[in-house]
Amino acid sequence: MLVLSRRVGESVVIGEDVTVTVLEVRGDIVRVGIDAPRSVAVHRAELLAQLETSNREAASPSDDAVATLSKALRGAQDG
Amino acid sequence: MMRSMPEIPVIDLVHPLPGFPDQRRFALVQLDEDGVLCQLRSLDDPNLRFLVVPPVSFFPDYAPEVGDDVVADLQIESVEDVIVLLVLNAGESLSTTTANLMAPVVVNTATRRASQVILDDPNLPIAAPLVA
Repeated sequence: MLVLSRRVGESVVIGEDVTVTVLEVRGDIVRVGIDAPRSVAVHRAELLAQLETSNREAASPSDDAVATLSKALRGAQDG
Repeated sequence: MMRSMPEIPVIDLVHPLPGFPDQRRFALVQLDEDGVLCQLRSLDDPNLRFLVVPPVSFFPDYAPEVGDDVVADLQIESVEDVIVLLVLNAGESLSTTTANLMAPVVVNTATRRASQVILDDPNLPIAAPLVA
């Protein structure tokens, strides 16, 4: 991993069109600004990890689970 | 009266679902007559599917705003073409089943391009109980 020291207001340029700027440092919170083209997705790492976990848990429910849910939903709608 | 969910034989994910980097093509299939419970079935891996529902029956106030990048990615020209699907995590019963409000799957029915959009709103849970 490349490690760089930056002061507030200073930036790092990644590739040709991504710029990360340190906006503010307060205690253990660092605010960064990210300037990137639309095609580059920027996400908080933990959010993406959370979504991966959630998607894996959601994937391929058993036929039984689907049947139970389908029945319950029909009941809920009718009621 | 709710518009019933269209069935779409081939949907292209412009970005794969996080966790499933190799799955790009899915079919949207209804699992009940009302078009409430649907599934996204992978066309590349017949064993992979996700349960999805339109939000309106469960979260009537849910109105996600997507950014220009999503509009461009999915080539959205009319909001009428867009459907939003919530990915379900099926529990053992309805009461333990949750829906992902943080990252809905947005489908442009005109281009059949779709993406799971991470909404930048800390108030939207990743596992909201489907029924209160």
